[in-house]
Amino acid sequence: MLVWSRLGRGATWALLALLAGVVYGLPAAMIALASFSGQWNGVLPSHLTFVHYIHAVEGNSGSQLRVSIVTGMLASAAALASGSWAALALRGMLPLPRRMLDILFFIPSAVPSVSVGLGLLVAFSHPPVLLNGTIAIVLIAHFVLISAFTYVNVSAGLARLPPEYEQIAESLGAWPGYRLRRVTLPLITPYLIAAFSLSFALSMGELGATVMVYPPGWMTMPVGIFALTDRGEIFSAAALTMLLAATTLAVLVALSQIPAKASAR
Amino acid sequence: MAPDAVIDREQTAAWAAAPVLPGPVAGQASPGAVPSNHGGGITLEDVTVSYKGITVLERLSLDVRPGEIMAIIGPSGSGKTTALRAVAGFVRPTSGRIRIGERDVTDLPPAVRDIGMVVQNYALFPHMRVDENVAFGLRARREANEAVRAQVAACLRMVGMEGYARRYPRELSGGQQQRIAIARALAIRPRVLLLDEPLSALDAQIRRSMLDELARLHRDLPSLTVLYVTHDQTEALTLADRIAIMRGGRLIAFGESQAIYRAPPNRFAAEFLGHANLLPVTLEAPDAEHGLARARFGASTLLAASPHGLLPGQGCLLCIRQHDITLRPAEGPANTLAGIVRAVRWQGDLHSILLDVEGCQLRLSCTPLREPPAVGAVAQVHFAAADASLIPEEAAGNG
Amino acid sequence: MASVSVPMGQRIRFDMRNVWIAPPLLILAVLFFYPLSLIAGVSLAGGGHSISLSHYTAVLGSALFRNALLHTIGIALASSAGCLALGFTLSLILSFVPFPGARILARLIDTFIALPTFLVALAFTFIYGSAGVLNESLMRLLHLPLAPVDFLYSPWGVILAEVTVYTPFVMRPLLAAFSLIEQAQIEVACGLGAGPFRVIRQIILPAAIPALLAGGSLCLLLTVNEFGIVLFIGAKGVITLPLLVYDKAIQEFDYPTACVIAVVNVALSLSLYSLYRMIMSRFGGARAGLV
Repeated sequence: MLVWSRLGRGATWALLALLAGVVYGLPAAMIALASFSGQWNGVLPSHLTFVHYIHAVEGNSGSQLRVSIVTGMLASAAALASGSWAALALRGMLPLPRRMLDILFFIPSAVPSVSVGLGLLVAFSHPPVLLNGTIAIVLIAHFVLISAFTYVNVSAGLARLPPEYEQIAESLGAWPGYRLRRVTLPLITPYLIAAFSLSFALSMGELGATVMVYPPGWMTMPVGIFALTDRGEIFSAAALTMLLAATTLAVLVALSQIPAKASAR
Repeated sequence: MAPDAVIDREQTAAWAAAPVLPGPVAGQASPGAVPSNHGGGITLEDVTVSYKGITVLERLSLDVRPGEIMAIIGPSGSGKTTALRAVAGFVRPTSGRIRIGERDVTDLPPAVRDIGMVVQNYALFPHMRVDENVAFGLRARREANEAVRAQVAACLRMVGMEGYARRYPRELSGGQQQRIAIARALAIRPRVLLLDEPLSALDAQIRRSMLDELARLHRDLPSLTVLYVTHDQTEALTLADRIAIMRGGRLIAFGESQAIYRAPPNRFAAEFLGHANLLPVTLEAPDAEHGLARARFGASTLLAASPHGLLPGQGCLLCIRQHDITLRPAEGPANTLAGIVRAVRWQGDLHSILLDVEGCQLRLSCTPLREPPAVGAVAQVHFAAADASLIPEEAAGNG
Repeated sequence: MASVSVPMGQRIRFDMRNVWIAPPLLILAVLFFYPLSLIAGVSLAGGGHSISLSHYTAVLGSALFRNALLHTIGIALASSAGCLALGFTLSLILSFVPFPGARILARLIDTFIALPTFLVALAFTFIYGSAGVLNESLMRLLHLPLAPVDFLYSPWGVILAEVTVYTPFVMRPLLAAFSLIEQAQIEVACGLGAGPFRVIRQIILPAAIPALLAGGSLCLLLTVNEFGIVLFIGAKGVITLPLLVYDKAIQEFDYPTACVIAVVNVALSLSLYSLYRMIMSRFGGARAGLV
């Protein structure tokens, strides 16, 4: 407790409300308002309507939602597998190569996403590996960008796992594969779920690499939203953004509800 | 809370006679028979463990007989846990060999050493039920379902937890969890059971009842070799057939529990195992008449046992335990000293009296006195010569 | 428990263990390092198969590039400073002047991390844009003919958006660090007569330095890489390196130039990343910063 007087506390909370309200509350409220607004000529919209949402769900935007979700799920699943594999494999290594590889695995997320997209374009635009213009290149771009985060999350979970569980399992006669399946992975399930959630959220919002490599038939929501704003249809863009945010949060909340029986002390 | 564990003798016998696992362990004879070389003894030969320039174990040689309980005790940092983990296979010796039974296991991974391990914080798998925990080792070795179920039931009965099969570890108390951990370790019928401070995380009350249960378990599984690491000398003295005392990675003392308690070989052993009074004396002559030696303490002559081959004229320490000193005259060949009472403390179940005897401190403990001596008074204390033993005096810092 | 155990695998099964790292490493090499090396290759390509720095001299000398570089660095520094200031203030109030619901508010702000960055830029259009709420209100109130507030289409708009989006990355390690400060220390200090600002300066701030450094360097890295916000705000004069790469490659199909700019951008990002790693290893445990 830093401030003791009621006046001081009141003033502090007022400051907090002002800052948080202006910085965070206002944008959120405005996007929501814009998504429902009919005409907005004055200070506030003249009337509210659902028409933008209806346009969003039908037509192109509906398919964009599907594309984003499919891309997110596939890329996150692949990133989780790859990141977990790397985190597990790195555990048994000596400190020095381990540090180097640790840094290496995170670099894809440290560089600008646009560069990742550019790289994929440059590398895979010619036969024999022609991915330019395919769905695969979008999936690969998302996978590369988010696998660093799954790796970091799973590494953190593994680091917090007390070694006794696996040692006892080993002393009871369990070989590495059995230990992994029956002891290690169940105990880090909360971290796996958290990693997947974060990856999914990042993929849903990814723009920089996607806009470099996407084929016309595979447009994700962020790209679609940008196209709408470029055309001046900002209200539809707002509605689509609300859909994007809602979908992302819904999936995150659903994932957090998965009961994790394991609570490694 | 937990019902007192009842070790079911019939169940234990059935357990012992059940078909054994395929593997290097030979079939067992009828329960109660002492197998000749069946259970593994443990042998450590000159085991050294160094890590990054620090020597954690220095040329440790230890021999645990099949079927006995050996306790390794010592202060923290003494290397006792490292020794245990070397036997388990989680620590690779820098040099030396380790044998379990007749097999040299130094290069073998823990999974094939045929050991069961119990650790301080139980390490029950939190995402599995109790019966799945106990069955883990059996399932890892692909035992048939029927056999697994029977063995799990038998082990749970053995530790008195048969009603808890479908619970989860988080629903159990500390003592209950430790019993499950023991059942889990025993389920795979190991030759050797390794216990790493298994009672340290438990309340004092539970610790006492668990000590009884461990003692009973060992009596009912006579072929099981047990290596027990602890820093608590009461646990060691209660359970162990033989005790090894370690300090700084080295073995300081080693022997039968009673022998090492009554006649400790060196100062550290005397002070670590029980409360000892150490008086500096000079050995005069072995007294052949009573089988005892004579030693000079200031102006007095004291009689004591001298089992460690000391020579006349040598300066040494006379070790006498607090509870062996009395205010009433002792029987048999006995010693008498006069001292000034410095402190009298009542501790509920005993009186602890501190005396000043010719410049040395002597502490005695006895059952509570109705009229304890007054501080500052002169008191006579007695102790039997057979209860005192002479210890070689070492140069400072020796181990 | 003895912490000096030498794990079995390290001594006898050295080779076998390390083989497992190969598949993810291979995937990383093929999908990331190989394309990156190709970018470098294109940027260095002369005629035929020769290496030439002609692209570099052309690009690095151009005003457009220098402009973009300055904008990138300037915006990143300003945004990071803003994140630190705002994050510190918010975390301070949430941790040390608590109220029921403080935790929920912290979680809500944290949720912004899961949302795309351009969402804020889009929202700003409605708030601070020329036809936005702020301008319309001011115009009506003060009877102005033209929109008075147009900072949105300057670097300040980008900076404000980035501060909004990246402050949670500063708040996470700060909130964690603040929760470790003993309440008793602050109570004793206040009892000895210290006012709130003195307590902040002398007790809280020193404990927060590692978290501030970690969060600040992370913000630097993230803002240098930021693309979506700059794209959505789309101000003519505000070009950053990522946006320039996009323009050159996708709008103008000028791959060599785009690659040169990408190389510079990647080099800048990797330097900031190394800075971040160095700070983290110096100050240990505040790993809560990244995820």
